[in-house]
Amino acid sequence: MNMKQIFNFCATAVFVFTMICSCAENPPKDERELAEKAFADAEAGKDCDRENYLAAEELLNQAREEINKKNYDKAKELFKAVKEKSDAIAKYYRDHPDECMKDKNKNGNGEDDGKIGEEDVKQGTVDPNADPTNPDMDFQIVHFEYNEYAVLAEDLPKIDLMAQWMINFPERVVRIEGHADERGSVDYNLSLGEKRALEVKNKLIQAGIDAARIKIVSYGEERPIDPASNEEAWFKNRRAEFKREN
Amino acid sequence: MSIHFRLITLIAVILASMNLFAQLQVEVKDGSVAEYNMAVSPLAVLDGADSALANDITSSFEKVLDITGYFNILNKESFLEKPEVAFNKTDFKSWLNVGANGLVKGTIKGKDDVELELAFFEVASGKELLHKKYSTKAGMAKKAAYRFAAEVIKTLTGEEMNFMFSKIAFIEKSGDKYNLVVTNFDGSNKRVLVSTTATVLLPEWSADGSKIFYTSHEKNNPNLYSIDLKTTRIKLVSAYEGLNVSASAYPDNKNIALCLSKDGNSELYSLDTTTNELKRLTVNAETDTAPSVSPDGSEIVFVSNRSGNPQIYRMSLTDLSKVERLTEQGNYNQDPEYSPDGKKVAFSGRDEKYQFDLFVIDLASKQISRITQNQGKNESPTFSPDSKVIGFSSNRKGKNKLFLSNVSGTKQFAVYSGDGEVLMPSWSPAETN
Repeated sequence: MNMKQIFNFCATAVFVFTMICSCAENPPKDERELAEKAFADAEAGKDCDRENYLAAEELLNQAREEINKKNYDKAKELFKAVKEKSDAIAKYYRDHPDECMKDKNKNGNGEDDGKIGEEDVKQGTVDPNADPTNPDMDFQIVHFEYNEYAVLAEDLPKIDLMAQWMINFPERVVRIEGHADERGSVDYNLSLGEKRALEVKNKLIQAGIDAARIKIVSYGEERPIDPASNEEAWFKNRRAEFKREN
Repeated sequence: MSIHFRLITLIAVILASMNLFAQLQVEVKDGSVAEYNMAVSPLAVLDGADSALANDITSSFEKVLDITGYFNILNKESFLEKPEVAFNKTDFKSWLNVGANGLVKGTIKGKDDVELELAFFEVASGKELLHKKYSTKAGMAKKAAYRFAAEVIKTLTGEEMNFMFSKIAFIEKSGDKYNLVVTNFDGSNKRVLVSTTATVLLPEWSADGSKIFYTSHEKNNPNLYSIDLKTTRIKLVSAYEGLNVSASAYPDNKNIALCLSKDGNSELYSLDTTTNELKRLTVNAETDTAPSVSPDGSEIVFVSNRSGNPQIYRMSLTDLSKVERLTEQGNYNQDPEYSPDGKKVAFSGRDEKYQFDLFVIDLASKQISRITQNQGKNESPTFSPDSKVIGFSSNRKGKNKLFLSNVSGTKQFAVYSGDGEVLMPSWSPAETN
């Protein structure tokens, strides 16, 4: 068989194949792939066109649901819409990169994993019954966003509480353990865990605590509170914990 | 169109295309052989030889050829000729009939002192291309077979491979327990060097292969230790406050690159392990970590999030201002590892599905090729000393396991069957003895 024959054969095969699969009895694999890829490519532009990005994500979720319900025609249309929207976001980003970077900085959320819904699992805020005059006070866990080392705003009062306790018990030394969720490499997560511990330490120093009374250690992703692989577990595991050194 | 008719047409099309590809499979590419059909006849067991050892040698031999990606190992069930048929009585027609391009035959004699005789034939011509006899202790017989495998590979592809003689260190984690384990490249001959509920992380071989560096929280701080493989003596290498992690050996067997956070955040340093003299390599407000020293010691690749997210960079060690970013795609690239031939860097990167996969950068062309896709999480790539095989950790079958892949990613399989999670593999340098 020469090259031309092979080509003809392949072309015929592809044609026959397409004919067989043209009715919507099978999931729209190509459309889906194109849509998923376009949506992933649009991520870079999500900060300067957040509304459209969220809309594209919503469409994509709908399309995936239609697949589950085996409404393949409907899913196909939705995937096409996702691709169109995502391409528009990507184009906007390509044409206005400076503007997008500016918006990104303004939002201040830097890098996240692009998955909306992490906010849904936020918990925390300080325990109202905690008593900083009690030497045996339970220390509270501080949480972080994905790949970030700034303490979650709602957890800042926990650090104030800790500072109050350390002022009340000036002979006490604490250790802050920084942790990361399981995503990412071991070395990178050790660095991230340490940045988190250091950030909390700096907050205590700002509150007037002597740096010599605060030790830090990073465990990276090695000591998860919840070993599951989902948003809820990851949220629990991205944390800094206070431990008594004496 | 009825469902039936469609189905029949579909099957016809698939069969036709398979046949087409089958005809195209045996071809010579870049001076090497692609998908060469190899028949490995089971070793004939003679003069009281151990049949379990014979089977082990045969299957290990197949594994070695298989992982190179150049061979299609034929299923023994289909073989028409018995293993006991003498070398010079081989019926090549029967091997042609099972589709073999090449045939390896052998005999094993004796229980403790073993004589292993192996031959490699080109089936079409019936020509004997290699024939060797090895006299050895039973425990070393497999190694002798590997030597023959290396010769077969060289005969067909011109490539010198030595991965089969090397070892892999990795962390096996079961519950809270961390074991530092060393095995042969194929997961056999397991040896546990360190076992603790304090962490053992990021093992890395010394340049001469005599020691393994690792980090442990044994003293509540992530300190860097080394363990001597012969004496199992453990030495504290670096214990600055904060991180002492990610050692990578310079070829001089004296210096290591590592990540320390003693100066406020993760920075790269080189440490002379004989004098403890320290030299700072990076100055940056953001994280710099995971260095891998080039085989000639002239540069490092590492991870930095100086651009806002983790990316792979390359830096000259003679001129620290010469820094180049190697990855532009994706926003989470990590685990860089130089190939021992200095031509490539493997790394893991998060793809559009938020999953980590392995990639290889060709440093000359800057082309990035993908090694894994749609098969769970794939991390911590490490090159064999001949740069031909990549070891890595993958959770494609549930738990994280040790996997091997050839550099093009066309052949991949798991090689170690322990119960724990296999993480952070590190391939040894070439065998020195």
